[in-house]
Amino acid sequence: MIKVIELKRTVTDSNDRDAERLRRELKERGIFLINLMSAPGSGKTTLLSRTITDLSGKARIGVMEADIASDVDALKIDALGAESIQVHTDGMCHMDAGMTKSGLAGLETDVQIVFLENIGNLICPAEFDTGAHRNVMILSLPEGDDKPLKYPLMFQKCDALIITKMDAAPYFDFDLDAVKKRVRALNPMIRIFPLSAKTGDGMEAWENWLLNEWEKQKNA
Amino acid sequence: MNDALFDVIEVRAGVEAENDRYAAQVRDFTQKKGAFLINLMASPGAGKTSVLCRIIDALSAKYRIGVMEADMDADVDSHTVTAHGAKALQLRTGTSCHVDAKMMLFGLDCFKEPFPDVIILENVGNLVCPAEFDVGADLKLMILSVPEGDDKPLKYPLMFTVSDLMLINKIDTAPIFDFDIEKCKEHVRKLNPRMEVFPVSAKTENGMESFLLRLEALIEQTLAEKRKGAEK
Repeated sequence: MIKVIELKRTVTDSNDRDAERLRRELKERGIFLINLMSAPGSGKTTLLSRTITDLSGKARIGVMEADIASDVDALKIDALGAESIQVHTDGMCHMDAGMTKSGLAGLETDVQIVFLENIGNLICPAEFDTGAHRNVMILSLPEGDDKPLKYPLMFQKCDALIITKMDAAPYFDFDLDAVKKRVRALNPMIRIFPLSAKTGDGMEAWENWLLNEWEKQKNA
Repeated sequence: MNDALFDVIEVRAGVEAENDRYAAQVRDFTQKKGAFLINLMASPGAGKTSVLCRIIDALSAKYRIGVMEADMDADVDSHTVTAHGAKALQLRTGTSCHVDAKMMLFGLDCFKEPFPDVIILENVGNLVCPAEFDVGADLKLMILSVPEGDDKPLKYPLMFTVSDLMLINKIDTAPIFDFDIEKCKEHVRKLNPRMEVFPVSAKTENGMESFLLRLEALIEQTLAEKRKGAEK
């Protein structure tokens, strides 16, 4: 067991170095990378689809779909006319910096903002720095307002929290204020955007934040 | 770097072999105690605790029920479960994303006599890692909830392949989500033809009765076999 712990430390140390290097390289290439994380089925692809459509003309967006298997999501993004890359992790439960770098090498067009759609998992992806410039997570309303209590690391690591499926509120007991309070106790700096990617309500605030952060990155 | 990579692979194989040995010990232990062990797995927020509470309410008159709550760092669910009258143990997995057989064995040992007849492990909310670790359960029960979408079997195939019984939960919310139950069942059948699928709502209790009857039958059958095995 001790051996496992030692290796894990070696793995995360070397990952941190790779991530730092990738972040610098991407900045030099003029690419703003967002690591998008959430539980399975919380609406990562739906949010991305809407964001791509809304921001067409403002930014050239690419998406890297990380999946254990399948290419359902990449096909959806492709249909929107955005460049999409499908990465298969072959059983792995998260993306690390090395995998992200290899995946990005597949980019063919001149994109400005790239979303890494991480594996649907609230645990493991939070432990691995992918080299992204911002970490963004989604919590969907049907998952419940107690999730910050159960998966604290993810909420601590992210710069923004998007609360999706707000249109489903009448069907669920979800206390938005309680979530905000729990999340801010873990991470006082996090930005929170309640929205519905289905109806479009609340999308603008998230998209403005994204464009603003991209602007900051360009001038950094 | 290559050396480090080689090490990781070696350790992983070792961890898996070690886990399988512990899983066999868990099976021996529950055989000896005459207990039925359920490994309950799902994404975060799919409704594991709600389903669990329904199971406790339905079966606690007939069986002593013990619950093991696996959470990274919280005991919200233990409070909920205890309020429904089951004995609960909180397993803190630290930063681990799944429960393995060694943790399971350790937890089982913490139940006091009289030992529970039915033990339910509420695994960490995760559709990936828990599927890889056999904890020695008699029944792998998974939940997929309607808001997660009907394409999940395509994206997380291992969980659907290793599970024995699957609940499609939150069917009361079907009117606002595009979830095709037949399409979902078809995806599942391709991965796992033996999977039993029950669409339910733990909230409205719609569909719960047929699931609970099936569960009770499975428990009865397995406990009878275990008792027969113990007599030999």
